[in-house]
Amino acid sequence: MAAAAAEPGVGAAPPAEEPGSGSLCAAPLRLARLPLARVKALVKADPDVSLASQEAVFVLARATELFVETIAKDAYVYAQQGKRKTLQRKDLDNAIEAIDEFAFLEGEFLVGLILSIHCLHIHRIIEYQGWKGP
Amino acid sequence: GFTQVSRCSKMAERPEDLNLPNAVITRIIKEALPDGVNISKEARSAISRAASVFVLYATSCANNFAVKGKRKTLNAGDVLSAMEEMEFQRFIAPLKESLEVYRREQKGKKEARKDKDKKADSEEQDKSREEENDDDDERMEEEEQNDDEEVDN
Repeated sequence: MAAAAAEPGVGAAPPAEEPGSGSLCAAPLRLARLPLARVKALVKADPDVSLASQEAVFVLARATELFVETIAKDAYVYAQQGKRKTLQRKDLDNAIEAIDEFAFLEGEFLVGLILSIHCLHIHRIIEYQGWKGP
Repeated sequence: GFTQVSRCSKMAERPEDLNLPNAVITRIIKEALPDGVNISKEARSAISRAASVFVLYATSCANNFAVKGKRKTLNAGDVLSAMEEMEFQRFIAPLKESLEVYRREQKGKKEARKDKDKKADSEEQDKSREEENDDDDERMEEEEQNDDEEVDN
C-alpha cells in the first residue's frame, strides 16, 4: 500500500486504489480511520437532527480526519518557530487564535454552539474554558 | 440555556462516548507531521476535543442545509455544503473522491451479500442475515436508493 507519508497535504487525493480491488479488497485507503459509530454518536447528540444517511456520517468522519491533519500541521508551524520537535498545547492555542477557520474553537463561539445543541453532557467534554489558557 | 436538558433525549450517552478514540487521533496527527515529531498529551487531547467540536459544528451546519431543502435526512451533500460554509473548501475535492471510493466499496459489499444470501437461501432460511451484522453496523438491509438510517432522537 502506498505510504501516506508521501501525501503532500489536505488538498491531495487519497493514494491510488489497488487495481482489480472490487468488492473483495475492503481495506481502507487511509492508514488511520475514525470509527463511524463514534462519529454517528456525535451526530445523534444534536436534537435537531432526525435522520442522517450512512454516507453523511462517512463524509463527516473523513472531514474530521482532514481537520485533525490540518490543525496538527498548522499548530506545528508554531512548534517549529519555537525550535521544538514536540507539539504542545500552546501551539494549538496559537493556531486557533491566528487562523480564521478555527474560530469555531474559540470561547464565545463554543458557548453559542453548546447552547444551540442544548446538551449539557457535550459541554462537559468540550471544557471550552481550556482554550483561553490558564 | 442549560435548562433545555430535558429536550435532549440522549442524556443516557456518557461523555466518553462523544470522544473520538485516542489511538486513531494520535495516528492521524503523526501521519500529518514529519518523522521524529512528538505530540504532548495535552496537545493530543486538545486536538481530540477540537475534532469532536468539529463534528458537532459540521453536523449543525449540515442540518441547516437539510432543513432548507425540506429534507428530514442529512445527506452527504449537506455535509459538503457545510464544509463550504465553514470555510473548509479545500476539503471538498478530497471528500468527494473518498465518497466515490466509499460508494464503490458499499456497492461491492451489497452485491457480495446478495450472492451470499442467494446461496444461503437455498440451504438455510434466515441465518445469513444475522451473521455479518456486527462487522458493519451502518449497513441497511433495504433495497432503497438512499442509505437512510434512523438516528433515534
